[in-house]
Amino acid sequence: MQAVVRNYKARDYKSEVKPIWCPGCGDYTVLNAITRALAELALPPHEVAIISGIGCSSRIPAYTSVYGFHGVHGRALPVATGLKLARPDLTVLVTGGDGDGFSIGGNHFLHACRRNVDLTYIVMDNQVYGMTKGQASPTTAPDWEGSKLTPEGTGINPFQPLVIGLASGANFIARVSSSDPVNMAQIIVEAVRHPGFSLVQVLSPCVTFRPDQAVWRDFVRTAEVDCTDDAARAARRLMTDDGFNVGKVLFKGSRAPYRPEFERSNGSIADLESRFML
Amino acid sequence: MNKTQTDGTEIQTVPQLLAHALALETEASERYGELADQMETHRKTAVAALFRRLEVAEKQHLADLTALCKGVELPHYAPWDFKWRSKECPETIDIGRVSYQLSVRDAVLLALEHERRATQFYTDVANSAHAPEVIALARQFAQEEREHSAWLESCLAECSAADSTASEDPDPPLSQE
Repeated sequence: MQAVVRNYKARDYKSEVKPIWCPGCGDYTVLNAITRALAELALPPHEVAIISGIGCSSRIPAYTSVYGFHGVHGRALPVATGLKLARPDLTVLVTGGDGDGFSIGGNHFLHACRRNVDLTYIVMDNQVYGMTKGQASPTTAPDWEGSKLTPEGTGINPFQPLVIGLASGANFIARVSSSDPVNMAQIIVEAVRHPGFSLVQVLSPCVTFRPDQAVWRDFVRTAEVDCTDDAARAARRLMTDDGFNVGKVLFKGSRAPYRPEFERSNGSIADLESRFML
Repeated sequence: MNKTQTDGTEIQTVPQLLAHALALETEASERYGELADQMETHRKTAVAALFRRLEVAEKQHLADLTALCKGVELPHYAPWDFKWRSKECPETIDIGRVSYQLSVRDAVLLALEHERRATQFYTDVANSAHAPEVIALARQFAQEEREHSAWLESCLAECSAADSTASEDPDPPLSQE
């Protein structure tokens, strides 16, 4: 505890636009955790940008007072990558859901992890496409019969975002629950501070199309592991985990974030152009 | 989740108590406001009005408290360093416990539970503090929370038995419809 004056409150990062998520939605909690984290990081709002794609959770930029870009479905990560490379002084967060991030944007997800640009990607995983009224997403269990498109379930094993993120090169891996917003804020602070691509999976129930997820708050438990920098060890843990171990940073790597050549050389556009054989 | 949760026994100075009270009243007023907004969006006017009234009451507490804090150097607590028993401030309603079908009675009960938790928090501080000024201030805050509870209890008495269950939705969300 430090006796210092903080200039920002969580509400300073909220816009005047009122969220229209369903009452009880976990995304409210994520919005609160992000604003609390930004206040704790004492980042001036004009030095932060939140980028999203499409979906319920992708509405977050509108609800914040920082710079925002509500982009194209699945394309939040390329936009955020471009922004961070052009404006490395900005703290760039990316928000979205499991459908946006792991299906439509799945390929971008792999390469964003691989590229390791200094971004914090917060994925609100509710295992369903909520905005389009409840279809199976990449993280949906194979036997979920709640959609008329897949009345007998998809029969497909769910996408494992943390394992795949780790294998693809993400430099920070954590899982949290929307039922514990204070812990989530703490993890987001760590994620932002850690250099490189940070992936935070949030178990965020969809109260409307997945009311069965109401029990998640009882299922989740604090992961009984310490953070590791050993990717193989982290992978073994994640491969044997039931998906409800939350509240801890599971992996922190030491890879240097990607920086483009022109930033390192501090050259002008003309210098850059002169290096192309046109 | 990974923080130490205590019953307020670590609060032994007036600045520590004020810092906790400020966070508690700020978050409670903001949460009541958020819940009122949510219910207005879903045309739940009676429940929205209840939460709005509680927001106003908490804002008044907050204004009084802010005046009390003037000139006092407050310690900074990160959100996870506060000494709550609960995951959030004791007076802050967990968003996950709210639904668009919440009845007025259920909303009153939910708010009452959290107002009582706030009273308990301040009572615990008063019971464990050593400094007379901390004990007196914590008792005063506990009494103010009791007044909110008393108002909510009167609201509860006015709620009809018919309002004791969540409202039915004549057009429930059906996937693919």
